[in-house]
Amino acid sequence: MSDIAIQAENISKLYRLGTIGSGSLRRDMQSWWERNALKKENPNQYIRGGKKVDNSEVIWALKNVDFEIKVGEALGIIGHNGAGKSTLLKILSRIVKPTEGIVRGRGSISSLLEVGTGFHSELTGRENIFISGHILGMKKSEISRKFDEIVDFAGVEAFIDTPVKRYSSGMYVRLAFAVAAHLEPDILIIDEVLAVGDAEFQKKCLGKMNEASSKSGRTIIFVSHNLQAISNLCSKALWLDKGNVCARGNAKTVVNQYLSTLQKQNWIKEFKTMTEAPGNDFIRVLYTELTPHFVDALSVVDIRTPLTVKFRFYNANDGILLAVGVHLFTISGECIFDVSHDPLLYKKGIIEGECHIPGDFLNDGSYYISLIFVEDSSKQLYYYEECLSFEVADFRENINWYGKWMGYVRPKFPVITRQTEIHE
Amino acid sequence: MNDKTNSLGSADWEWEIKPGTSWWNISLAELYSFKDLLLQLTRKEFLGLYQQTLLGPFWALIRPLLTVITYVVVFNEVIGIPTEGVPPFLFNLIGITLWNLFSEIFMQTSNTFLQNVEIFSKVYFPRIIVALSTLWLQLILFGIQLLLLVAVYLFCYFTGLVDFNAGQGLLIFPVIVITAGIGFGGGLIFSVLTAKYRDLLSLMQLVIRLLMFICPVFYTMSLVPQKFQWLAQLNPLSTLFEYFRFAFLGIGSVNSIQLLYSFGFMVVIVLLGILIFNKMSDKLIDIL
Repeated sequence: MSDIAIQAENISKLYRLGTIGSGSLRRDMQSWWERNALKKENPNQYIRGGKKVDNSEVIWALKNVDFEIKVGEALGIIGHNGAGKSTLLKILSRIVKPTEGIVRGRGSISSLLEVGTGFHSELTGRENIFISGHILGMKKSEISRKFDEIVDFAGVEAFIDTPVKRYSSGMYVRLAFAVAAHLEPDILIIDEVLAVGDAEFQKKCLGKMNEASSKSGRTIIFVSHNLQAISNLCSKALWLDKGNVCARGNAKTVVNQYLSTLQKQNWIKEFKTMTEAPGNDFIRVLYTELTPHFVDALSVVDIRTPLTVKFRFYNANDGILLAVGVHLFTISGECIFDVSHDPLLYKKGIIEGECHIPGDFLNDGSYYISLIFVEDSSKQLYYYEECLSFEVADFRENINWYGKWMGYVRPKFPVITRQTEIHE
Repeated sequence: MNDKTNSLGSADWEWEIKPGTSWWNISLAELYSFKDLLLQLTRKEFLGLYQQTLLGPFWALIRPLLTVITYVVVFNEVIGIPTEGVPPFLFNLIGITLWNLFSEIFMQTSNTFLQNVEIFSKVYFPRIIVALSTLWLQLILFGIQLLLLVAVYLFCYFTGLVDFNAGQGLLIFPVIVITAGIGFGGGLIFSVLTAKYRDLLSLMQLVIRLLMFICPVFYTMSLVPQKFQWLAQLNPLSTLFEYFRFAFLGIGSVNSIQLLYSFGFMVVIVLLGILIFNKMSDKLIDIL
């Protein structure tokens, strides 16, 4: 038992929607008077337009969340926006109280919910290192000891006696994170700090975190949207959805479960009748589907996964030379490829087709597919835009870097290097 | 946090987080462990106050000086309020120095929540540390003003305008403590109220301005008509001004019962302030 750092039992947190209280003393006193002295209904239950505010207009930001973290373990918390991740961190950091439940633990906690907590923009970098350090819970001697290291990590030696308001935003963030990175609590709570700074700095931060958890044996709780970072840095993960625990356990498994539900959104489109089906007088597209060929048992489309696009359509003209083209776009609209085939003579009726996209070809990101139907390789009959959309997750092994991989495509062309001379 | 055994009865936890807040959850040992933070916050506010200013901390002197000059012109030269033979400048400076101590502590402490929402919603430490650092900062600024007062007083003493009595002089210390305490306690209560009801902030500024006229800042209690004396004595601050002036000048009507009353009032309001502040500080984070 004694190797457990934090144990949370049935944590729930209730928030009321809308304004809490009325924010005005007059109306609160009026409510109180009517309720208690006159034993009437609260007149302020009826807000604008005489509509009654239902007492059930409350939201459980967290509902019966249970988990345990062992000493030295790194727990990643994932979930959509509004899933309750930040609320959970705030409860663990003692900033807000849970409505129900209890958290027990041992060891000192530092939480890093934003960078630059307590920075004063008028003061110099030097002053701010001390202020921020103290607010985050460091002792004076501790800060003095690590001062040079912090300045060095942030790379702001030349500006240490300049007010931080004159810093570039990058320098500001680096300095702020540098202070936080040198905290040495038993339990470290981190919220989305990786969203800051350039790729180079993110690499530094993740390296620091990795060092903290693997070498120093520190317990880490980490919220991030960078799922690669979670599955590589954390041993355990907790998936929250609308305040409930969806899954918990091994980080890689939970991340993949999360990804696969994210992805199964727009993989198939089928239309029963001709009139429903999108198209025009020439073409009616009856069915489109994206079929991934999963590499392993985990049903996640990642960069290794080959994909097949299948489609079926109705051709209204008899005896035409027809070709179908598949266009693949990134979510921001850049076309990755435009593939087609030699036109073929088709009779009036139903036509099927498919296109195979190999694995190890697309980079991670969001994509959509459009279909183009062309007669005589020159006349466009119909252009079916954004008929399928899908996401490709990242996958990395044995790589100590979690920034965004560059490029629209990520093929596995071999790169070969050899040493041609040796200089001793 | 309390040390309690968990439901399994085996492990000893170092801390636990539970719903609800007790009225009294301050442990002096925990507060002491945050003393570095307290000093650092005071330092931050002090330095922040005078960044990019021409005169820096001298502003702590310039403000009372300008106020005193205005008061002397308006209340003594134009209206003609008697000062019992004391140079009007010294008379008003004494009143204003003590008034500033009270009003600044009260106003700044009552801003604790509104001004620190950002930090409070991101980091945990006992919230009262911020209020204490405000108190500490205001005491330092008061110290600077007190030096000015002493300088003016010594000038008047050496030019034979006033007498000095060491025994009376020591009275300034209890007076300062009680005044600061009442300001701090009231500030704590209002910091909770203004966080909840923003409209109280403007009301409070008005009240503090009017309160100054009720307190014997630029007049003595003896000028108050007999039928209103009891009302003036009900104000726990009145005696403090009388005593403060008495400590320097040996004038005014002072009695120790009144001072005890003020002291009792201070103890009550400080305790009440701390209790309300503690009870509400966790809840306020949810609505700020």
